[in-house]
Amino acid sequence: MQRVEILKRIFDDITDECVITSTGMISREAYQIKDRDRNFYMMGSMGGALAIGIGLAYSRPDLKVIVINGDASVLMSLGTMVLLKKLKLSNLKHYILDNNCHSTTGGQPTCSDAVDFHLLSDCIVLKTDKQKGQAPRIPLKPVDIQRRFREAIRIKEK
Amino acid sequence: MRLGIPYSKCPYESELPCTSEEEAIGIAVGVWLGGGEAKCFMQNSGFGRCIDIITSLLLPYDIPIGLHINNRLDLHHEYMGALCPVICKGLKYLNESSMISQTSV
Repeated sequence: MQRVEILKRIFDDITDECVITSTGMISREAYQIKDRDRNFYMMGSMGGALAIGIGLAYSRPDLKVIVINGDASVLMSLGTMVLLKKLKLSNLKHYILDNNCHSTTGGQPTCSDAVDFHLLSDCIVLKTDKQKGQAPRIPLKPVDIQRRFREAIRIKEK
Repeated sequence: MRLGIPYSKCPYESELPCTSEEEAIGIAVGVWLGGGEAKCFMQNSGFGRCIDIITSLLLPYDIPIGLHINNRLDLHHEYMGALCPVICKGLKYLNESSMISQTSV
């Protein structure tokens, strides 16, 4: 299935969850499908999305956190999946969209076909087509993505 | 909350057993987005791993995570020990918020 179709299905079920999206086309397509204040588009720092999700879910157990990762990004920071296994965060859901390639940069192959991500920690692995995707760059400034996300989940003082 | 990777005679303990320095910064970012505060500690070798997350996440998204970098100068740390202060000077973010100590242990 195309990645964009899988992302649409994921976002169909989302209500008030915080969503951290990984580098490249995953963030761009998520922006096109359902832009919302509670989406944090991590446009650089490849491999860092799960760590951000862990920090948020660990420090804010009142929130439900979803991380949407790609196979290449996960492979860059496999240790973070082991940490997640250790922490067992019940308010964090980790999707891995696995197309076995770096599709944003031209489809160069990854080695994701040699690993079963489920062995490392809880995750939902969804196999997707190798198609590059057509989504344009996200027209938001990074600082604005950060500010609106933080404001949307701010604990209001009584 | 303190997060990081320990070094010899490190005075800090990490709240979570992080697997890398850049992961520690990523977790700190998540904590900060949720309204909390987190600082990271590491030695200079691990700081080398963090250049991308500092320049493509902390700086452009304007996320203030305090960094403590222990700069070693001995043995195989000779080159990074000399480079570390230069890199820090080039990152305005670090000039403002990091504390750099120098040790040879």
